[in-house]
Amino acid sequence: MSQPEEYNLMEASKLQSLTEKLDRAIDSLSQTRNFAKVAKIQPLFDIVRRVLQQEGGCAVVEERAQRLEEAGIFAGSDWAQPHILIPTLSTFSLKSPEPNTVVIEALSELRLLAVAMGDYIHPTMSREQAHHFLTQVLAINLELLFGVAGEAEREQQGKLAGIPRALFRHLAERIGYEHVIDQLIEEIWRILQQRPIQVDSVKQMITQIAICQSNPDIDLGASGQGADRLISSLYGPTQACREDPGVAVYLERLEGMDSGALQYEATGFARAMHDTGLVSPYHAVLLRYLLNHGDHLLAEGMGLSSTGRDCLLCYADLVRALIDEAIHPETAQGIFGLAQLLERGILYQPPLAPALWRQLALPLSAYSNERLALAFGPSPSARAWLLQGVLCMLGQPLGVGQGNNPTCQSARALSMWAYNDPDYLLQMVVWAARDDEIIIHFEGQPISSRDSLSGVATEIPLDLDPVSMLVVPHLDRIYAEMGRRCIGRPGDPHRWVNPEFHGWWSGRGFRINVDVETGKLDQLDDFLRHFYASYHPYYNGNQPLIHPQPAGIAVTDSAARFIGWHAITILRVSLDPREVMRVYFFNPNNDSGQNWGDGITVSTAGEGERFGESSLPFEQFASRLYIFHFDPLESGELAIIPAEELSEVNARISRSWGVDRLPANELQASPGTT
Amino acid sequence: MSKSDAQNYNPEKGYVALLGWSLNAVEAADRFDRRYVVVAPDWAQPYCDEHDIPYVPWNFERLNDRSLEIAQTLKEMGVDISIPLFEETVEWAGAINSVLLDNPRLFGQAMLLRDKALMKRRAQLGGIRVGIFEEAHDKEDVVRFLKRVNQTLLKLDGDPNDPIHLKAFDKAGCLGHRVIRTPDEVDTIPDEEFPVLMESHLDGWEFAVEAWIHNGKIKFLNISEYVTLGYSVFVPATPELEKYRPEITRQIEKLIKTFDIEFGFIHPEYFVTSDGEMYFGEVAYRPPGFKVFELLEQAYGFNAYHGMILAFDPKTTEQEIDAFFPKEVVDAKGHAGCFGVYPRRRVVSHLQIPAETEDHEYFESHELAAPVEETVTKRTAFGTHWGLVYFFGKDPHILRDLLKHQEDLDFYV
Repeated sequence: MSQPEEYNLMEASKLQSLTEKLDRAIDSLSQTRNFAKVAKIQPLFDIVRRVLQQEGGCAVVEERAQRLEEAGIFAGSDWAQPHILIPTLSTFSLKSPEPNTVVIEALSELRLLAVAMGDYIHPTMSREQAHHFLTQVLAINLELLFGVAGEAEREQQGKLAGIPRALFRHLAERIGYEHVIDQLIEEIWRILQQRPIQVDSVKQMITQIAICQSNPDIDLGASGQGADRLISSLYGPTQACREDPGVAVYLERLEGMDSGALQYEATGFARAMHDTGLVSPYHAVLLRYLLNHGDHLLAEGMGLSSTGRDCLLCYADLVRALIDEAIHPETAQGIFGLAQLLERGILYQPPLAPALWRQLALPLSAYSNERLALAFGPSPSARAWLLQGVLCMLGQPLGVGQGNNPTCQSARALSMWAYNDPDYLLQMVVWAARDDEIIIHFEGQPISSRDSLSGVATEIPLDLDPVSMLVVPHLDRIYAEMGRRCIGRPGDPHRWVNPEFHGWWSGRGFRINVDVETGKLDQLDDFLRHFYASYHPYYNGNQPLIHPQPAGIAVTDSAARFIGWHAITILRVSLDPREVMRVYFFNPNNDSGQNWGDGITVSTAGEGERFGESSLPFEQFASRLYIFHFDPLESGELAIIPAEELSEVNARISRSWGVDRLPANELQASPGTT
Repeated sequence: MSKSDAQNYNPEKGYVALLGWSLNAVEAADRFDRRYVVVAPDWAQPYCDEHDIPYVPWNFERLNDRSLEIAQTLKEMGVDISIPLFEETVEWAGAINSVLLDNPRLFGQAMLLRDKALMKRRAQLGGIRVGIFEEAHDKEDVVRFLKRVNQTLLKLDGDPNDPIHLKAFDKAGCLGHRVIRTPDEVDTIPDEEFPVLMESHLDGWEFAVEAWIHNGKIKFLNISEYVTLGYSVFVPATPELEKYRPEITRQIEKLIKTFDIEFGFIHPEYFVTSDGEMYFGEVAYRPPGFKVFELLEQAYGFNAYHGMILAFDPKTTEQEIDAFFPKEVVDAKGHAGCFGVYPRRRVVSHLQIPAETEDHEYFESHELAAPVEETVTKRTAFGTHWGLVYFFGKDPHILRDLLKHQEDLDFYV
């Protein structure tokens, strides 16, 4: 017998013996009375993990999915109710360093696979639902299907990392690759409509699709049609680079073009960029080439409207210098930032042009250089990366994301400054990048980011845009220090921290509907009436919101259960195209289209949102709000809201995050509905 | 709990009370055909209420004037017998059963089984061989005993001493167990541990027995082989130990007679010396630690708690219990063992099952949890392990060596 055969036989017998153990463990759990299952579940988790780590293990577990579920392996966990599961969360579970979390998620997917294949008639999940769910999970985790394991993954998960990969291979083979792709394309468009600054993961997914399409072994059938625009916007938006010839060849071709042809190229790139929010590296080649041509072609190449073009003409030298320094094939995404920056007209604010000149010449500290090079690579240069980041943040203030870090406060502050006080943001960038120190005053006392040792985040984040990467660690420490200085004060520290941290325009008036001591709801009706009086145009004298205001949200999951407190910015309140009063807000997390349960789904496009805005009808928003700021000098008369609307909002609160927070006397007033 | 999960019990059979809270015991009772009730401290109440587990609150402290109260309560409920699950409830079972069965002798018997010094005296009176033992009330007693034992062994000054063992009178298994070799070590014993029982060290092979007794007869006798005391055990034993089974059976019969045990379950420990002589260590009237019941279930397929309920229930018939138990050793599907993990390093940060353990064909499962604290407290006595690792396989020698080998591995790094 040859050695590989012998090895295969050995592996097969190992799977065989593990399968027997698995069957015994399933039987043992299913015989156990319900009340003792939780204590007996660990051995089953263990054996499932070991089976999944074997070649062919996924199929073994899929075959036993129904028995596993009926034995009670999901009992008491979210996975017991597959209809409330959210595909996006699967990524976090599957990348967890905790074996049980990885195993239960993988098990759940294999169970849904059995349901989707019609092998398992599930009480709460239909075949179609299961199928739909799995395609979403596959789409979101496509990098696990096609990509190679990253260093971080290995470091965090070790041998566990093999499980999600084997799982996705198995899922894709059973479901069919063609289903994955269409779902994925839809998902990518939904994310792109929010115009995030960070598009690396989106680019990665598009690249995966392109690879799939060109692989003759993968039959995509009729699917994947909608991917053309996405793929071409990255790899060949125009006629002259359609076949992805490489930047050197493309530059040669440009050199042979007359102005008519250049104009054609410029329009093509601009259209692709504004369609998708993605910028092709070829676009950077063109724009640099156009530096030697007239402003007209440059404006055309960025797809500028009359506002943007005016701005470009007024500050032609500055814009050219910015392009020259910041725009390279690697940093092409900065073109979109620059175009949006010009469209916003913020260059007309007196400090901004000189501040950008300063940015252009800014020497970076050794530490900043090192951080940027570590995250983005040495080419073109740390300075170019930072400048590109600055352009993007100023152009897409609502595209800021916190990455996978608990720093929503700092991300919100950066976004707010970029939106409302851009030269202040540029000042912060200078201090952080050049001096490695930011000082913000709190009630007259300076707080240096150097003296405050620990922030909210325990690790230095790497999954951020260049500006956030340098500035957030400083802001995070200062924010935490401000919190520490409020220790001992009654109530919630955000009352003092928010205005001092974000800026003078954050209202000094502060309202919270949770009693910090007890965690119970507090003066709910007054809170809501005050919120309506401050923000709702029908109750505040039709006054549109002037400055963005920090606010706090009780985030709930799709089953309307409380998850945590989250910082957002209220941007505006107005009627949507269907004449519904909506709150438009900024959410610093990376994908704002969230399902908060009880029929509340945050919309990110199609309800009058601008790029990066989230929105909810006013009363739905009010039902998740727990902190807002107001100007104490404005008349504080509480709004007379129709009783019906007030009780509707109240009901939404008590059905979701307020369920365990009802004050005792209210409980007595309304005995349980059961 | 769903309706279908409600217990179906046989009204012809006995009604048993479980003394103490053990989830495994309750779970087993719940799916057995005897009506049951859990008697446990009031912290068990929310759990029992939530899961519809029949429950009577009782705080087992020292026996006192109110002891009769719980016996009366159970009697009024129609309970036939009480079953102790922990060392601390053995005397309670004796007191309660003496009322339920109207047999005052049961209480005295329980007291014998609860006190290690009394137990040894009784064994000695019954003609059972025990080592040298004595009670110690302070440190001086310990030093004197250590010297006397070593004089008896004809040791000269300067010869290394044979160690002596110190055990609490009334604690289960290894709790409070210390080994003392020199007078200096006596100083490390905290005063509050006194009084203790002192025993001479026996060089030999230590093993334990689990025996289910009905009408004064052994219905099932298991020999548990220790690989290393406090670390690992497996069942059934190797043929080398099983060859003593006839002699061991005679010893257990002697024990049953000496302690006048009519029914129930005993868990004695013995030494067998190189010349084949058996020395009695101690006996407990409750389930053994180290999850031997779970090992038995894996090796033979019967639930040891069910066996215990049968052995205690006065309404159990001879045929019923004979049909329940398999034939020792020959009916076993294999050998099941477990290993108690102690962290070997002073500072640990996470749990990591060694690859060679996990990849071994015999490896079944583990119940280790991630460490809560990074620093490991130093072990003074035999201490408590951090969790068990289970193995199962056909060959007892492979299993034994595998269990021994685990001692050299790091599970916490």
